[in-house]
Order: sequence, then C-alpha cells, then structure tokens
Amino acid sequence: MKKFLLVLSIITLLGILHSTLHKANAFNPGREGQSIEMKSAGQPGIMKSLTRGVIKFFNYTGFRNLTLGHFIMIVVGLLFIYLAIKYNYEPLLLIPIGTGIIIGNIPFITQSAGVTMGLWQPGDPGLQLGVYEPGSVLNYLYFGVLKGIYPPLIFLGIGAMTDFSALISNPRLMILGAAAQVGIFLTFLGALLLGFDYASAGAIGIIGGADGPTAIFLSSKLANGWFMQNGEMVYEQSRNLIGPIAIAAYSYMALVPVIQPPVMRLLTTRKQRMIKMKPPRAVSRNEKIMFPIIGLILTTLISPSALPLLGMLFFGNILKESGVTNRLAETARTSLIDIVTMVLGLTVGASTQADIFLTPRSLLIFLLGAISFILATAGGVVFAHIMNIFLPESKKINPLIGAAGVSAVPDSARVVQNMGLKEDPGNHLLMHAMAPNVAGVIGSAVAAGLLLGFLM
Amino acid sequence: MSDTILNMVIYLAALEGNALIIAVIGYLIVLLALVMLSWVFNLIPALIKIRIQPKKRNLTNHGHEEALTGEVSAAISMALYLYFNQYHDEESRNLTIKRESRLYSPWSSKIYQVRNQFNRP
Repeated sequence: MKKFLLVLSIITLLGILHSTLHKANAFNPGREGQSIEMKSAGQPGIMKSLTRGVIKFFNYTGFRNLTLGHFIMIVVGLLFIYLAIKYNYEPLLLIPIGTGIIIGNIPFITQSAGVTMGLWQPGDPGLQLGVYEPGSVLNYLYFGVLKGIYPPLIFLGIGAMTDFSALISNPRLMILGAAAQVGIFLTFLGALLLGFDYASAGAIGIIGGADGPTAIFLSSKLANGWFMQNGEMVYEQSRNLIGPIAIAAYSYMALVPVIQPPVMRLLTTRKQRMIKMKPPRAVSRNEKIMFPIIGLILTTLISPSALPLLGMLFFGNILKESGVTNRLAETARTSLIDIVTMVLGLTVGASTQADIFLTPRSLLIFLLGAISFILATAGGVVFAHIMNIFLPESKKINPLIGAAGVSAVPDSARVVQNMGLKEDPGNHLLMHAMAPNVAGVIGSAVAAGLLLGFLM
Repeated sequence: MSDTILNMVIYLAALEGNALIIAVIGYLIVLLALVMLSWVFNLIPALIKIRIQPKKRNLTNHGHEEALTGEVSAAISMALYLYFNQYHDEESRNLTIKRESRLYSPWSSKIYQVRNQFNRP
C-alpha cells in the first residue's frame, strides 16, 4: 500500500508541477519556436563563422529545446525503469516503456518549430525523428500501434504459451473471469460522467480489463484522434488517447501486486481466505484440443468484433495443443512475442511526448484506470462470494481467486497464491487462480469487441 | 449519497445512446459468453466418457474411475524420473589402474616402497 501511495503521489506531484509551471516555461522562458539571436556582429570573419556554427549546433541540441514537460516525462520514464529493476514489477513491459518514454521526450526541433525558426521551408520534411513525424523510423514502428497490428500478434504468443487445463478442469471458474469485467463497464460510465465522449469512454473503460494489448487495440480503433464532423473525418490531437490509455493499462498491470491485496483483504474474512479447494482433475489431450476450437467459434460468434484478438489467441493455442506444430508454437511463444513486446513497449513509451501526453485528460485517465482496476478486483471477489452461496460445502471456492478474474496474466494469479499462502502455508491457490485469470483474457477481449461494436 | 447516485443514473440514462443500456447489456453478454463456454466444457467430459465407454469394458479395473490426485501423479512422475535418469547405482564394478604419466609422484616414489627401519641409538 505504501509503495502504491508513493508511486501515485510522485505521478500526481509531477502532474501538478507541470500544470502549474508550464505557463511559466521555467526551463526556456519565451524561447519556444525562436532561435538564439546572433550576437556576433563586429567580430572578425573566422570567429564570426565559428560562433555562428556553435550557435546553430546549440539550437539543434536537446538542451536548447528542453521544457519542463520533457523533464517530467523523462523522470517518469526513469521511475518505470526503477520500479522494474528494484521491485521486479512487470520488467518485460516497464523497461521497454520506460526507455521509450525517455526516447520520446528527448527534445528536438520538430518540423513546425523548424519552420517558425526559419530553418526549413513549410514543405520540408524536417529531421523526421519523432514518433508523430511522418517518415521517421519511430513513426513506422508506431504504425503497428495506430492500426492495432501488434495486439493480435501478442495474443498469438499468449495463446501459444497458455495452458487452459485449469480452466477446462473446472469450467465454472470461467464465470469469475467474466464477473471481473464489471470494472470495464463501470469505468465506461465513470468516464462519461467526467465528460468524455462515448468512444473515448469505451477506450478508457477497457483499462479495467487489465490487458495491455486489448487496451491498445480498442483505443487504436475508438480513440485514435479521428472523428466524424459534418460528414467529414477530422483529426484532433487531443482526442488521440492511445498513449495515456496504454501507459495507464500497463502501469496498473505492473502495479497489480500493490493494488489488489488491500481490496481482497477488505472483501474477505480470514476464514474465507483459508478455504481449501480440491486439486484440479487431469485433463485429456482431446479436451485441450477441443477447447480453442470451441472457444474460437463460440466467442467470436457472440462478439465478431473481437475476431482479431480472440482469433489469434485461440489460433496460438491450437498450435500449442495440436502437438504437430511445435516449431510454430515455439516461435509464437518465444521469438515472435518477444520482438513484438519490445517494439510495442518502446513505441507506446515514445508516444508520450510531453506536449501531447501531459494534459489534464491524461491525469483523468490515470485516475479512472486506478478506479477501474479496483472495481474489477472487487467485482471478481464479490461474484465468488455469490457463487459460494449456491455451492455445496465440499465445493466452496476460495473468494480470493475471484480477484484473478482481471486478466493481468499471471501476476494477479500470483497475488492470489501469495495471499493464500500468507493465511495458510499449505494452501496453494495458483492453479485454481489461473482458471479465472485466463478466462479474464477471453472476457476482456469479448468486452472489447462488444464496445467496438456498440461505439464504432 | 443516494441522491447523488440517483442524479448520476438520471444523467447517464439521459445521455444520447443510452450509456446505461450499453453498459448493462455489454456486461450481460460477456457473462453469457463465458457461461456458455463453461456450460459446454461441463458437458464435454461426459460426452467423451460416453464415446469411450465400450472400450473400457475390457479393462480389468472397470468401474474404478477415481481421478489421480496431484500428489499421486507427482510420486509416479518422481519414480519414473529416478528409474530412467539415475544411473549412479548401476556401475560396471571393473577395477582399472590408470597409468600415471608424471615422472615423479610421492605415490610412485621408491623411497616409500622400502620399509623404513627405526634408527636405534
């Protein structure tokens, strides 16, 4: 709890600092879009050209263009890297994102600023460095985020590495994965109450699904900055919420071990936390093969908009369980997912350029994201209590596993395991928690598909 | 408190597109999708059992369908692992003498092969 408050207070402090000081532009007062005046008149020829060269070089450096916003974002990037290394919070995500934030916030002369400074003509391409500048390397990599290409590839890898046995052996635990999705829909309503439009609210709500790729996929469709106005598609940068939503989703996923335990403790008694469950039964190979096929057909028939995500998830699982495509499954769950994770994390991080990212809307998204995670966790635990009312004494489930219904695979299941062990060192809940955990992935993808269908 | 919640509900209900309806229906559909999947997978073991039952009649332990617990599976796995991978106890029992290439070693020194007599005064 202390760690969570520390992280939250640092982020809030940085946000407040930025909003109060950015008008004063403490680092470069009055220098926005202006080059340093030449003060070398009257100097001898060689000295004059030397001074001019040095000044020109200085104009191009990051020091010259650094603003308080960039500085704050670089500190946030460093914080992400610190959390990953020190506390081991989702390092595979936080290290690429943290590094991406630093890369995205090293200031340089943008094309428009260069034109204002008289360095380039309006039609010139500029330096083509930033993630938002057409033609830059980062922009090409960011294309996969903008068009929702990376999330399905990540899902392919997840499918190829997930063992659904725990779910197949106790199918009723799947319902917990659906129950925890209540966070998505309540946050959707919360975002509407705070004044976001329908599409943005849907994209923000999906943070409660605790699934980074799903959040990016939905926000790239619903909150990419393009909207219809007077029969024409118009782009507005302030409506592009992909960066804040992705950062919020991944940050809170990394903070699952900090956010979930207090909620779980609040909603359960010690006696309930000590409930022991029967070990899951052995699952046959046929069942394992049938699961992705039936799952694919059934879920995509209900929510066809989730086809890119669920199709790839179950495809990856068929590769794994068929037993005859080991090479493909191995590639999907190792090399492919690793490459996509690196590129996705880096570009999402780089998309948080201070001038675009640091807005009051981003802070609201972070606030709604935290509420969303808390609601989702509470939803799963409460639903487990409700299920226990109808179950016989011998088949009662430990309500802690309801919290694993938020996806965040496998961190939330690990949190459940640790909490179970704290109460009773002989009570291993990991395998039971994996069932709602992987069901949560399916549930959040179905929810994303539904929101896409409703709001697109 | 209840007034605030009521006001929020009224506001949401009045929004164009009926936010409340989207949220409630959306959530119910997610629940329905996973309840259906759960129901199908509750049925599958029974269906598989029906299909393979005629074959089972010939087995000697017919009727004994108790599933193996995790502990039993772990014990069997351990025993199999030890049987297939632990070769340490099976040795050839042939004694061999390794030829020493070094010219001098205290072990091959001649001086230690001669019985030392006590030097009596």
